[in-house]
Amino acid sequence: MERRDLPERPGWRDEAERLGFTFADMHGQPYWDETSAYVFTLAEIEERIEDPATELHALVREAVDRIVADESLMDRMGIPAGFRDLVAQSWRAGEPELYGRMDLAYDGEGPAKLLEYNADTPTSLYESASFQWLWLEQQIAAGVLPEGADQFNGIHEALVERFTQIAAPGTDIHFAAMADAPEDYATVEAMAWAAREAGMGAHYTDLQAVGLSDQGQFADADDRVIGTLFKLYPWEDLFADEFAAHVGPSGVRMIEPAWKALVSNKAILPVLWQIAPGHPNLLPAFFHDDVADALAGRGAGKAPGFDAVADQMAAGHVIKPIFSREGAGVRIVEGGDTTEASADRDYDRHPLIVQGYAPLPVLGGFRPVIGAWIVGETCVGMGIREDASRITQDLSRFKPHVILD
Amino acid sequence: MRKRSRHVSLAILGAAAFGLAGCKSQETDAQAFPDEASCVAAAEEGSLFFTVEDCRTTFAEAQQNHLETAPRYDSLEVCEEQHGEGNCGGDPAAAQQGGGGGSIFMPLMMGYLIGSMMGGNRGVMSQPLSRTANGGFATPSGDTRLSTNTGAGKAPANAFNRAPTTMGQPPMSRATVAQRGGFGSTAASRGSYGG
Repeated sequence: MERRDLPERPGWRDEAERLGFTFADMHGQPYWDETSAYVFTLAEIEERIEDPATELHALVREAVDRIVADESLMDRMGIPAGFRDLVAQSWRAGEPELYGRMDLAYDGEGPAKLLEYNADTPTSLYESASFQWLWLEQQIAAGVLPEGADQFNGIHEALVERFTQIAAPGTDIHFAAMADAPEDYATVEAMAWAAREAGMGAHYTDLQAVGLSDQGQFADADDRVIGTLFKLYPWEDLFADEFAAHVGPSGVRMIEPAWKALVSNKAILPVLWQIAPGHPNLLPAFFHDDVADALAGRGAGKAPGFDAVADQMAAGHVIKPIFSREGAGVRIVEGGDTTEASADRDYDRHPLIVQGYAPLPVLGGFRPVIGAWIVGETCVGMGIREDASRITQDLSRFKPHVILD
Repeated sequence: MRKRSRHVSLAILGAAAFGLAGCKSQETDAQAFPDEASCVAAAEEGSLFFTVEDCRTTFAEAQQNHLETAPRYDSLEVCEEQHGEGNCGGDPAAAQQGGGGGSIFMPLMMGYLIGSMMGGNRGVMSQPLSRTANGGFATPSGDTRLSTNTGAGKAPANAFNRAPTTMGQPPMSRATVAQRGGFGSTAASRGSYGG
């Protein structure tokens, strides 16, 4: 992995605007940044990113299977008692997953480490699947990149294929995002185009405009019954919404399925570590309650396997709320001192986990995080975000990548 | 092996435009008749998308459809509120079964709408028509409304979708919404809800 300076495409900002990519600059800062790009070899992509991410997804499925059979674990994972059946049922019924994005720490040398898995509401889909792809094609055409350059980006085609696997031809699917969230909307529309290409009827509705009919079904802003709902809105928030109790009785099919509430949940990280302690692509992780005393030097950890990694954890660990997004509520502790903390405290009401600290590499003054896109059960593409800070937050930049051999 | 898609979808149109793009209902040739005889008369003049034979089979189909999918009411008064005075009658299906046939009412069939099948399929689709409260005509689902039961034009192909017979309506059918705003309140203070 290398970060290489490259000339920008002349006029790319106009093109972004023309294409509707309105948040290429955000908060007065560049979000899409092609002044440099990350360069990989094909072998590196396949052996260090693609195969491990696919393998991690299989491990995640194993973890879900364990969790749905364990009420106390569901409790620790913050699933409200009234929705544990919905979650478990969706898993037992084999409701298929559509997509997710694993965030990996990868320094180009050691194995990639799973930081977390946004398997419910990952955004940056448009940037990853489309705008990044366009960048590569245009840079090849302009001679900036060689003819044989490639990109790990089969995301769009994989989504089209996945829709044909998980829905009958012509199924009407509603795609919902919260109003006035352009980044979220872009992900939803990119997804909806893939659904249309797969022969589905794709319709958009603002999530807040969804109604409940007199027959207990959900309906869109135009009063049309919703049979299948893709929602870019986290399950853990949905559980607290007034309509949540109607999800089961309405008969609506949800994408992602409810069991993704267990995956897009940092409390799955300690479960993964229990199943596969020492896995090269996992960092040691524990429920904070089990090890807080031990980390503070007051006795042994109450979690199996903690003692084996106690020194590593003491050297550096990260405390994360189980449901935080965009780095919110995250705290890095090294040698007993907090060395970095997110200012965002929105997620403080959630339980915490502790994860071994894997410093991100620093390239050109920035710290990249690899977003490994999973469609269905397979890793099919990659998007990279980099941040000047040690905690990747919503001011991070999206960086294109290229495979050169 | 190539690691990237052969093509992608490049533009973000925005919510309003996305709904229109590629999603507009396909339209088909359609014609409405008050009865079978007027359909046959039109077919005999020729050069249309339907034949005399089509008139007969689709009329029978529409009658059966009407019987199975027309709305039912528990009083003549309520039925006439919805369909106009003199436009309702008893439910023959319920009367046949003997049990309480006299207390179920439904609109009378006041003609039918026929349409040319889409996608090069040679064939004709139909839907029964009954009166609406404002003097127009509608198919049983209520989704397709006409001001007259005689005339030719274009109708969306989904106007010929059969109305539901059972409770629990199919996706994209018309619902009566009792309440909105039950999603999104928990996280409603953030700028982005994904991550």
